[in-house]
Amino acid sequence: MGRDAETDGDDRPTRLTEYTELHGCSCKVGQSDLDSLLDDAGLSGNSDQLLFGIGADAAARRLTDDLALVSTVDFFTPIVDDPYDFGRIAACNAASDAFATGAVENLDCLVVLGLPRELIDSAAPILAGMADALDGMNGVIAGGHTIMSPWPFAGGAISATAHPETLLTAQGASPGDHLYLTKPLGTQPAMGATRVTDEQFVATVTDATDRPLDRIASEAVAWMRTPNRDAALACREFATAATDITGFGLAGQSRVVAARSNVSIELTHLPVIAGTPSLSSLFGYGLTDGESAETSGGLLLSVPPAETDAIESALDEAGVFYRAVGRATAGRGVTLDDPTIEEVSR
Amino acid sequence: MPRVDVRGEICPRPALIVRQALADLDTGEILIVRGDYPPAEENLRRMCTKHGIDVTATETTAEADEFELKLQVTEMASLSEA
Repeated sequence: MGRDAETDGDDRPTRLTEYTELHGCSCKVGQSDLDSLLDDAGLSGNSDQLLFGIGADAAARRLTDDLALVSTVDFFTPIVDDPYDFGRIAACNAASDAFATGAVENLDCLVVLGLPRELIDSAAPILAGMADALDGMNGVIAGGHTIMSPWPFAGGAISATAHPETLLTAQGASPGDHLYLTKPLGTQPAMGATRVTDEQFVATVTDATDRPLDRIASEAVAWMRTPNRDAALACREFATAATDITGFGLAGQSRVVAARSNVSIELTHLPVIAGTPSLSSLFGYGLTDGESAETSGGLLLSVPPAETDAIESALDEAGVFYRAVGRATAGRGVTLDDPTIEEVSR
Repeated sequence: MPRVDVRGEICPRPALIVRQALADLDTGEILIVRGDYPPAEENLRRMCTKHGIDVTATETTAEADEFELKLQVTEMASLSEA
């Protein structure tokens, strides 16, 4: 469906999202499939040459006693129709994996771009969006590779540096730590609503929430375009573990932290973009269970009780959104028992 | 027994199509849903389970990603409220 956007002779602008079946971080291969793939390929062990690698948000190599190189790659399918916004979001999302480790210096991005022939005109605005995003993150576009592809995708290979001792991974949370999230959830239902354009269902979706759908969508885009750089800079002195929220959702990323840190995580509070819980319910997405896929989501930080005042001050000073979302406790796995849902508007 | 085919449909449309079909059914009635998109199956299962619709997978010999679900409206059904 929808693949004739350019050829049916109407004046509708090209919709990037019509070219794929999966959108944004929803196109991520599932955790269990990925684990099996790595096992099958014999890639599940750690490399002695790296500080950390496979399974972490990014890889890190110690170059000198006081310098580590962090590298990662991330690309995905369009989550929005506007090519410039798609570029900005793709760049923020790619860099986010490096920021989740606390690496923000010497940020380079090698663009990874694939487009179908019909969308060639979108290449320039996508790249402009990526370049502006990198500029805003104190980084540069250092090159890239572009191919023809039936599904459009964009992102980048990212490198950044940090002091080896300051690096964060999902391993390091301890029982008693407080968990913070630095963006509200809900990008999947917010953007899903924008893809419902046929008369049959527009009213159903519009009536599901008392907020205008375009307002919800524009707030979601604004959050996805927000780099996690400031959050990373503010948190890295105080957090014991960090990851960024992606296609696995808050609960999925919490399971990663719980498993790697050998703790249990109790999620008690979910900040969400206002209007998205009712859309999620309508679409059968798992937002209020923390299971909704997020695109370019915030950082999930684990912070010892003695450091919560300090990190809250640092995040406030940096103007970074944050909410306490739960605790790490002794045990295993993730629990989410009737959490409070806080609807947030920008 | 009513059936809907959501093969080829992209989220969130499968949930909207199934929801509309379920709204016409009375307690105890069954809807068969055929799809070919694993995330849609997960979303449909979640939507139904949360709204008092029993979900069972039917035997199917279809291609790997295809699924067929039997949805039965229970007395607890609350789809119209959401």
